[in-house]
Amino acid sequence: MKKKSFLWGLLLALIVAAGLLLYGKLGRGEGMVAVVSVNGEVLERIDLSKVREAYDLDVATDFGRNIVHVEPGAISVTHADCPDQICVMQGRLSSNGIPIICMPNRLVISIEGGDIDG
Amino acid sequence: MGKTKKLALMALLTAIALTIFVIENQIPAPVPVPGVKLGLANIITLIAIKLLGKREAGAVLLVRILMGAMFAGSPSTLLFSAAGGALAYLVMCLTLRFFGDDQLWIVSALAGLAHNAGQLAACMLVVKTPGVLAYGPVLAASGVVTGVFTGFAAQFLLKALNKAKL
Repeated sequence: MKKKSFLWGLLLALIVAAGLLLYGKLGRGEGMVAVVSVNGEVLERIDLSKVREAYDLDVATDFGRNIVHVEPGAISVTHADCPDQICVMQGRLSSNGIPIICMPNRLVISIEGGDIDG
Repeated sequence: MGKTKKLALMALLTAIALTIFVIENQIPAPVPVPGVKLGLANIITLIAIKLLGKREAGAVLLVRILMGAMFAGSPSTLLFSAAGGALAYLVMCLTLRFFGDDQLWIVSALAGLAHNAGQLAACMLVVKTPGVLAYGPVLAASGVVTGVFTGFAAQFLLKALNKAKL
């Protein structure tokens, strides 16, 4: 019994270690096109390399409201009406990185490669 | 255990789980990763399975998730917590028989893993963005860590409850 517990502990520790090591390495989008979607529907595709001046995008849907800040080379969420504010804490997403997610409002911002009109 | 006592205990556990759930929701997220939570209410699910049985614990869990979404969450997060909760419950029911009372932390860790997997799968289905899979590894890690923590909590609580001869 004791040995079995130890082995399980080891296995679980390995899962934790592997998870932490792989986090941020898998699923990175490479490119300059930010895709803003809510509930699986793409609302905007923004080529961040072509943004000259920073502006705010007001994303208001049935699920909630987020203010998305678009600036040259980066995108972030500056306001969310959800309780957890995780998307705001996730900070800026630029040429590569894992998606910003606001689960309660079903908002996802991810980075894709390629040209918009390509 | 008599019917009345069982019903009273189920109601008590549901109220406790709901209270824990609502209070936990007030704690700001410790890390900017969607889906990472302590999951303290799972302590009660484990306790309910051990004290009352699988069916009764399932009922407690169902009411907690539904009322939890009413009191604390939003209707759109109900889907995620239901998917996670259901999968965690399933894993608890399936694995509990293989582990002793001093190994509840292992059951709970596996349940935590399953919870986050279910949550991520539901999220994938809804947002239709494969990129959210990037959160898989960290959610696996956090599911195990919080699962071990809540598992030990359940273990100690169960020990105390058995001594008190509830």
